[in-house]
Amino acid sequence: MRMKKFIAVLSMVSMFTIAATGCTGNASEDKSADATADTKAEQTEENVSSDWDSSNDITIVSREDGSGTRGAFIELFGIEEKNGDEKIDMTTQEAQITNSTSVMMTTVAGDEYAIGYISLGSLDDSVKALKIDGAKATAENVKSGDYKVSRPFNIATKEEMDNEAAQDFVNFIMSEEGQKVIEDNHYIAVDDVKPFEGTNPSGKVVVGGSSSISPVMEKLIEAYKAINPKVEIELQATDSTTGMTSTIDGSYDIGMASRELKDTELSEGLKATVIATDGIAVIVNKNSTVDELSSEQIKSIYTGEALAWDEVIE
Amino acid sequence: MQGVFFIAACASVLAVALICIFLFANGIPAMKEIGFVKFLSGEMWRPNNDIYGILPMIVGSIYVTAGAIIVGVPVGILTSVFMAMYCPKKIYRPLKGATELLAGIPSVVYGFFGLVVLVPWIRELGRALKAMGWVRSSGNGNSILTASLLLGMMILPTIIGVTESAIRSVPSSYYEGALALGATRERSIFRVIIPAAKSGVIAGIVLGIGRAIGETMAVIMVAGNQARMPAGLLKGVRTLTANIVIEMGYAAELHREALIATGVVLFVFILVINFCVALLNGRTNRE
Repeated sequence: MRMKKFIAVLSMVSMFTIAATGCTGNASEDKSADATADTKAEQTEENVSSDWDSSNDITIVSREDGSGTRGAFIELFGIEEKNGDEKIDMTTQEAQITNSTSVMMTTVAGDEYAIGYISLGSLDDSVKALKIDGAKATAENVKSGDYKVSRPFNIATKEEMDNEAAQDFVNFIMSEEGQKVIEDNHYIAVDDVKPFEGTNPSGKVVVGGSSSISPVMEKLIEAYKAINPKVEIELQATDSTTGMTSTIDGSYDIGMASRELKDTELSEGLKATVIATDGIAVIVNKNSTVDELSSEQIKSIYTGEALAWDEVIE
Repeated sequence: MQGVFFIAACASVLAVALICIFLFANGIPAMKEIGFVKFLSGEMWRPNNDIYGILPMIVGSIYVTAGAIIVGVPVGILTSVFMAMYCPKKIYRPLKGATELLAGIPSVVYGFFGLVVLVPWIRELGRALKAMGWVRSSGNGNSILTASLLLGMMILPTIIGVTESAIRSVPSSYYEGALALGATRERSIFRVIIPAAKSGVIAGIVLGIGRAIGETMAVIMVAGNQARMPAGLLKGVRTLTANIVIEMGYAAELHREALIATGVVLFVFILVINFCVALLNGRTNRE
């Protein structure tokens, strides 16, 4: 009896799996987000490119209000307009909003007419990064200033911090060794750093905050532990605001924020340190014939002036 | 021993009470600061400029839920009629297992399915309709329609489960009586059985509404989340739940409180729905 039921459920599961594979199979024919689509696109690249019809509407994808990536993006492309003291975010209301990098990438990879933006460190082959004003989106170009779309990664500590181990870790991040880790992970390091002189303390440090910074922070912790294994470091990936509030109330020793700190947070006794700079890549679908846009063109897309691709490119 | 049971029973009441206190204590001051009318009827959501109007999200939630009901209820009721009245024993077990499995799939998996399967379909549909000149803008697949289809799928198990047991609880003499009077099987089911099981069917639908309106993850991934008044079936929409989850990560100060106030509105919605169920049940019991 039970066996029968088990077999029934099992067969349903396999039916679902078969049905699902069938679906993705179809979807990849529609040039959708699927691993097989990549190879397929490569084989038929020339055909597909000629299929790309610029009279189609642009699918604009943006991050949510308050996101550090969005803040930097709108500021740098002049999508933000100043009205007296107030800054108004002019991002078109038709833009699709997502709060995660992975959904942003899946959407752009699956929609041939989409445009979006992500952190340079998260960029992979599923999408195509555009040249902005002629400059390619690479860490070198961000550092040299040719590629202008970037934002700071901040860490925050309390001004009167008494955790010796945490201070030593911060010193490590801001040292030559720490900055090398940052560079190795395709972020842009801070200039003028000295070699690390550790005081070799022991203790426990809790680091938490922005999930954009967490991946590189993980690498920093690994590198630090290799030098000083006596310190136990715990990393919690939450978000910038949680990182700051938890640092204020003392549950984190070091908070991470992928945005500038708010005045209210600074007045609570936080001290911010820029540990790295992150470029923002503007991404389009791999089948798109667009390779390069000017800041002006991107502005007109994101403010909603241009609705179809042929209004942007000739 | 009785005390232990009593304490266990108190836990859920305490949880509800704590949630109520937290929500209202944090949300009401924010609503006051923004202005009740401005907050509830404002069509503009611009947290960076301290403009907080959640009407688009309220309307969005209602549209998406209504869409889910339109998709899910007919399918759900017909399925439960089939399962209770027509289904051969051989098919019943796998069918029941499948609906139960449908209930157990995490919503983020539904969301991902929607993102990679439904969204491209709707996008192609939109472009085809635009090519035929039926719609002015094709949209990009992230739309009210997509969210409604996905949610309609997600509320199926809730509706099927409750409706089936309601149909089964109708005494078989009703059905036999109707057949004896010369009614066809379909006529007996839809004119006798379903009206007799009305309160159960409605309870199923309302539970479905509750699930649809509270669903977050799946909706975020397929709805587009534009914070403006819904502009069409093929255009994106942001629901109340999506609004909270999307912006909570970076929100601070009044923005954060406004999101909690959004939660208050959602909570009131659910209260109203539950109140409706209680009212309906009360009425059918008296009859």
